[in-house]
Amino acid sequence: MTKQYFKRLSDAMITGDEEEAEACVNDAIGAGVDPIMLINKGIQPGMDELGEKFETGEVFLVELILAGDAAKIALNVILPHLSDEDSRSAIKGTVVTATMFGDNHDIGKNLVSAMLSTYGFNVVDAGISAPVREIIEKAESVGADIIAASTLITTSFPYQRQIIRFLNDSGLREKYFVIVGGGPVTPAWTEEIGADGYGRDANDAVTLCQHLMEGDSLPGSLSEPVIIGALGKQLIGR
Amino acid sequence: MTIDRDRILEVLDKTHSGPVYKERDYNIEVVSKNLKNAVTKYGLEKTADRANPVNMDDDLADRYYQAGFEAAINIGLMCRDTSRVITFNREELQAGIDAAPKEFWLGDGNQRVLYQHRKPEDNKLPVWTVPLSIAVTEDVFLPLVESLARIPQVDALEGPSLETVWGHPLRSGSPYEHLAGRYQADLMREAIKRAGREGMPMDAVGSSTTHYGVLGGYGVPGGYHPKHDLILILSIADFWTSYESLFKLTHASVTGGKYISASSWVMLGGYAGGPEGTAVASVAYTLLMIAAFQGSRTGVPPFDIKYMGNCGRRAQWALGIANQAVSRNTEIVVHSINNQVAGPATKMLLYETLVGMTNLAASGVSNVVGTRSAGGRRTNYLSPLEHQFGGEVYKAAAGISREHANSIANTFIPKYEDMLVEQPDGQSFQECYNVETLEPTAEWQQMYDEVRDEAIQAGLNFP
Repeated sequence: MTKQYFKRLSDAMITGDEEEAEACVNDAIGAGVDPIMLINKGIQPGMDELGEKFETGEVFLVELILAGDAAKIALNVILPHLSDEDSRSAIKGTVVTATMFGDNHDIGKNLVSAMLSTYGFNVVDAGISAPVREIIEKAESVGADIIAASTLITTSFPYQRQIIRFLNDSGLREKYFVIVGGGPVTPAWTEEIGADGYGRDANDAVTLCQHLMEGDSLPGSLSEPVIIGALGKQLIGR
Repeated sequence: MTIDRDRILEVLDKTHSGPVYKERDYNIEVVSKNLKNAVTKYGLEKTADRANPVNMDDDLADRYYQAGFEAAINIGLMCRDTSRVITFNREELQAGIDAAPKEFWLGDGNQRVLYQHRKPEDNKLPVWTVPLSIAVTEDVFLPLVESLARIPQVDALEGPSLETVWGHPLRSGSPYEHLAGRYQADLMREAIKRAGREGMPMDAVGSSTTHYGVLGGYGVPGGYHPKHDLILILSIADFWTSYESLFKLTHASVTGGKYISASSWVMLGGYAGGPEGTAVASVAYTLLMIAAFQGSRTGVPPFDIKYMGNCGRRAQWALGIANQAVSRNTEIVVHSINNQVAGPATKMLLYETLVGMTNLAASGVSNVVGTRSAGGRRTNYLSPLEHQFGGEVYKAAAGISREHANSIANTFIPKYEDMLVEQPDGQSFQECYNVETLEPTAEWQQMYDEVRDEAIQAGLNFP
């Protein structure tokens, strides 16, 4: 019987069915199912399967977004039933995502936001063409752990650097990990500006955020940034 | 031809009177749902044929046009600044399409260029514009652009993009961009003069993504010329626009501009879903850009978010069928972009170019801007040789059948498709060219010679 709740919940993630997710969780908790197991054996397997389907091109961005919404609804019901320790482990961290000032591209940011949501992060979207100050104010207001700054245009690069500078100058550097990404962003740029990490695509962003949250380092204290998914090869003559 | 101010005012009014949506609701409930509905209604599910990356089915292309036309009416364009959707009914959309020019001239003197409507398999010569707005350092700008302007197959110039202005970082959305507009115009003119091609048309303004560059460089004394040059309006992906784009339109109007390039992107794997939804979106968004921005040259190519390019099978299929749909069913000057991911001094870049440019020529595209060397990821990673190759292929492919283009796709896609995610950067301009003599290295020249021979063996008649 318990397994049926897990399957129902997992399926609700895959179909992005918020109502079903909420109903299932309520039913399961009413039947005495361990709420932490609902996350580990219900929500997470569904998200993992969806992530694989996204990689193979069976589902796309909309399905990820709807799954993230369904997961959020389910977690809202589950969290009050968890111990403090289990609550803390259920939400992996809070990430503020943004596209840099002067850049109106949103697809990368939206993909990263959706993927992070499906993997248990609380994501707060600061929008596109986001001024540096507003990104940091958002991080302050939501108690963020990570600022994820993306851009697809080189003329918005200076604003990624400015996030680090602003945090340093405001005495806030140790409060937030800063990760960067986007088409022209490179590991070399990441290191140059003093960011904490680089992810090449949305999956890499998830791995990166998990790594930073599970580690012991403080933001801004890493001897070199964490680089996930970098392209290393230069092929000549191909 | 002039830009119609009454039409501009109608569009501006719609940004204040159209239906209101929150961002998420518009993307999911309006864009994504209507595209899915159109795919279903017109029987387009599972029609993407990876085994045949260049569509050869006219009836299918026409159904994509019908689906796209209906989707355009149902979706509209969301104005980011007002959160309202600019909508067009059937008559308004058709009127916008009918008002677009079938042909026009740009440039001056003996460098004038004819942009003209083409149909699939048309033997009319297309127009090759180079390069895309890839970032370069100031020391590279002039020798690179001069070298590009010297290529006989190049008809017009658009990029590259400056990384700094007089040594200061160029920051998007700032007064630096305003300065960059005129600065770029000066540099482009100097490069053109050094190449002996004064009068060559240009697209304004490569270095500036926002309207500030256009305000600073187009229609100002010494800047881009409203009668000879195109103004670039690049709207936000997937049916969004903004005051930034509309400012460029009004600026064109107040400066006496005549010709607008109205374009954007649709993201394959994003809100448009798979290749079928993406192709419908490409058609729909193209028609909306004509109606909203009075595009003279218009097109909305797909971008595969899996690797941020469009030279893989599913993206090439969507690229081809969407362009065929529009070029078969309208008389507009269709614009598109082939988005490579490999960099200079790689054969992969040339193979991606060969596949994409033949597809675009055979699918009725009138004007391509390229090459997306190294996916536009790296500063200074572009060179004249791949731009020469792009022009040679594009023009040699004018008049080839889609069957022939498909055969080329199936021959050459296997040579690089496993590398689309890995994306070799190749070499910078300074590494694969002698910047003083503007000659390629022997290594890069040899790669070009070998791939060019392969293209000729594949049936392309190079001059």
